[in-house]
Amino acid sequence: MSWLGPVMTATGGIWRHKLQAGVIGIVLLIATASATLGLALLAASNAPFRAAFAAQHGAHATISADPARASTARLDQTRSLPGVTAAAGPFAVATVQTDQGGQPSGQFVLAGRQAASSPVDNLVLNEGHWADGPGQLVLDGSPGEGTNLGDTFTVTGIDGSPVLTVVGFANSITNTADGWVTPAEAARLQQAGAPASTQMLYRFASAGTYAKVRADVTEVANALPAGAVTDYGSWLSSADQATGNGAIMEPFVVAFALIGLIMAVLIVGNVISGAVVAQYHRIGVLKSLGLTPGQVVVAYLSRVGWPALGGCLAGVVAGNVLAQPVLKQSSEAYGVGSQSVPWWATVAAPLGMLALTALAALGPALRAGHLSAAQAIAAGRAPRAGRGYAAHRLAARLRLPRPAGLGLAAPFARPARTMVTLAAVAFGATAVIFAFGLSSSLSRAAASQTHSGTIQVEVQPFGPGRGTGPFQSPGAAQDAAAEAVLRAQPGTAHEVALYTNDVKVGGIAGSVRAQAFATDASWTGFGIIAGHWYDAPGEVDVSTSFLDQSGLAVGGTALVNTGTATVTVHIVGEVFRPGTRPYVYGSTQTLAGLGSRANLQEFYVGLRPGTSTSGYLHAVNASLGSSSPWTATAQETGGKFYTIASALIGLLALMVAVAAGLGVLNTVLMTTRDRVHDLGIFKALGMRPGQLLVMVVCWTAGPAILAAVIAAPAAVLLNNATLKAMAGTAHTGIPASFTDVFPPARLALLSLAALVIAIAGAVAPASWAARARAAVALRAE
Amino acid sequence: MDEVIRLESVTKIYQAGSPPALAGVSMAVSPGEVVAVMGPSGSGKSTMLNLIAGLDKPTSGTVTVAGQRIDSLGEAALARFRARHVGIVFQFFNLLDDLTVADNVLLPAQLAGASRRQARGRAEELLARMGIAEHRDAYPARLSGGQRQRVAIARALVNSPELLLADEPTGALDTATGQEIGRLLRELNAGGQTLVLVTHDPALADNYAARTVRLVDGHTAGAVVRS
Repeated sequence: MSWLGPVMTATGGIWRHKLQAGVIGIVLLIATASATLGLALLAASNAPFRAAFAAQHGAHATISADPARASTARLDQTRSLPGVTAAAGPFAVATVQTDQGGQPSGQFVLAGRQAASSPVDNLVLNEGHWADGPGQLVLDGSPGEGTNLGDTFTVTGIDGSPVLTVVGFANSITNTADGWVTPAEAARLQQAGAPASTQMLYRFASAGTYAKVRADVTEVANALPAGAVTDYGSWLSSADQATGNGAIMEPFVVAFALIGLIMAVLIVGNVISGAVVAQYHRIGVLKSLGLTPGQVVVAYLSRVGWPALGGCLAGVVAGNVLAQPVLKQSSEAYGVGSQSVPWWATVAAPLGMLALTALAALGPALRAGHLSAAQAIAAGRAPRAGRGYAAHRLAARLRLPRPAGLGLAAPFARPARTMVTLAAVAFGATAVIFAFGLSSSLSRAAASQTHSGTIQVEVQPFGPGRGTGPFQSPGAAQDAAAEAVLRAQPGTAHEVALYTNDVKVGGIAGSVRAQAFATDASWTGFGIIAGHWYDAPGEVDVSTSFLDQSGLAVGGTALVNTGTATVTVHIVGEVFRPGTRPYVYGSTQTLAGLGSRANLQEFYVGLRPGTSTSGYLHAVNASLGSSSPWTATAQETGGKFYTIASALIGLLALMVAVAAGLGVLNTVLMTTRDRVHDLGIFKALGMRPGQLLVMVVCWTAGPAILAAVIAAPAAVLLNNATLKAMAGTAHTGIPASFTDVFPPARLALLSLAALVIAIAGAVAPASWAARARAAVALRAE
Repeated sequence: MDEVIRLESVTKIYQAGSPPALAGVSMAVSPGEVVAVMGPSGSGKSTMLNLIAGLDKPTSGTVTVAGQRIDSLGEAALARFRARHVGIVFQFFNLLDDLTVADNVLLPAQLAGASRRQARGRAEELLARMGIAEHRDAYPARLSGGQRQRVAIARALVNSPELLLADEPTGALDTATGQEIGRLLRELNAGGQTLVLVTHDPALADNYAARTVRLVDGHTAGAVVRS
């Protein structure tokens, strides 16, 4: 017999067992899709900033220069300095104040650039087109964040109050500007009397640390007239900011990818070895007709190989499709331009799954190949005699409906298959419980980071988050008026003025960000990792980075130099603040010298229960009037990171749960086929369809209950370990409240996921079995 | 009740285009009667038994058993019908290997919702009557063929059905054991049990049935009535 013959014979078996082939295909589709997505996200979250920085030829340093001291020719000469590998500019820069719809809308640093493309800081145009005429503005970011294409801004403080229309959105990896206009427009927008400024963007041969970038900038400054360089920004600041979001995702993506891969191994192994075992009888018949052991192996690999191949190919397409929106969101969150599924993920995922399929199928196929024909026929018919008898004996004595007792005892007849079912359900349930827990934990982290549950309103000069330039300094009377307006509002439950500046702390090399509160701020809801919120003069709370960099611990003392005073503070608490930058929090009384008007950053407001935020904002802004630089805005409810993370967690958990359900479906299907004759007997003896449905569903109930018992603590451990890893990459500890998301009642409820997965997987084959005619089942022996 | 079984013009076609397994068969069985259905392989004997037992449905015609039209019943109603009115004995016993003898016998009663005590009492009584009470805790695999068929008969009778259907009840047994089972069936009939035997063994039909219906290619080919 040729090799083609047995392959064709086996392929005919696929059509005879369409459902099982379908299960193999779908499970491999899900496994390959999740593997592709996991690999893509791993690649994307591994170094999205650095990848985008390289792709966009990001600027290692953005130098602001005074054109009155450094001519374009002198600036051009810096391109050939040793250590400079590329440079772009000079670009005229205008710092403008704007209004939108009569309300102050903030300060923009606008650079004049002829085109988005550039040898350094090659901008990615997300929407619209590049500015090619007067009055046109390209904003940094993406549409839909309060601003869209066609929106207009009025530039204040300039003759004629020019209007800028948004014609595009672009991303600069190092945030070199808030927006871009044509060079002529930038020159026109420079305010009369204000110092003109130009921007040079550099890439250096060596710029791996802040010190190296500083040294490179010093080289440039030394090549220019004294005082020509007025300011500079390092790419490492942007990298730190992006890493705070990107790296934090890694641990849970890794956790889900690992669960997905283990599930895939398990289910592929289960499906395929089950399919081979279910086909022993067929193999026995084929062998009795002259099939050799080698031909049996080939026949089997091809029997499962075709649906597996189809599933893998469909899965890699699905993985690519699923990855697109997630990567798009991720790109926008990082501000790093477009990301795509790496080619190696598209190749590695299906090849890996196919290799896995072949490995899983090879063992049972070899076993089938070496069985004698008679053994193969016998092995395909029934489980080994004697197995599960004791369980049936026990179940018969339980005061349970007989179909339920029969169902609960059945798994003991096929212990290996039952163990695989148990493991599949346990992994699926673990993923679901873990997803709920992680979402809760991240939601608490988001609330703690944005204070959305406690601080509903922020009052800032020119609104929050607009640009990186200095705040406009309101007058003392305007500050007092703003605070008076807040206190007068009936909806105000709490308000506190926040003063911010950089301070020096003994033992920490760089600067430390200090936040000082004028009055009680215990209500602001900072997540406490250790200790407590300060409540006495001389006490402060600090971030984890502060403790790591200073080598101090809660209970220790630190020497803080605020610029105008040096104070000794007692550290009474560690608060949740992700990022490498160290933070210290205290009262203006403790952090002496910080509470000056120049450092007043904003007011935090907590609203009374039942107060409408929008109504409150309207009332406050109306009371402040259009002449006040202070503007009340609603607090953000969560960052993009948390939105992406939640969507991703949900998607991955759903995929794992579906795969687990299909694993159960396959097992029940195999068992139904094994026991089709017994099912016929049950029917002949008067078992009703409903009773048969209960019995078949109960086949999976026992393993599912055990899986729930395993999954609950496993998910708690996984959640804690993942959060710990995420917190580690975000340079922070975690408050106990973030991990304490599984009260016993909730955990018990979530554990029902195991039963839901098992029942969902079992109910279809159970229904088919229930509907089958007794005579047909009896004839199927 | 006039008849326990009434078949009227029953036809069963398994696949469109293929010859009918049963073609317009009519038959009636009175209470307490023993009827043997005989015929060569493929004559439609097992199909007829399946239709009487409610295990399958006719393509056309009516099947009335124990006063109930069963050809139009749904699966759940058919299951209830089987549990209450019919006991079936198969050629290869069809015992459940992973249940003990007692649990096999109890099963139909439990499925029919009988009380635990009542079902156990009935099962014990039948096991004693069949002479296999000492094997109540054994598994079927440890029993001889004759013992297994006794278990199967006990199981078929546990719900006290009006009708006992036996499909080649001695077909898998040696001659002596077959005769034992035959005598047992005759004893049951003597107690008033209506019995339909499907067999191709003329001796079984001659010795134990009052009437024999012959089937050939799905058609009735005459009946023999014994005194």
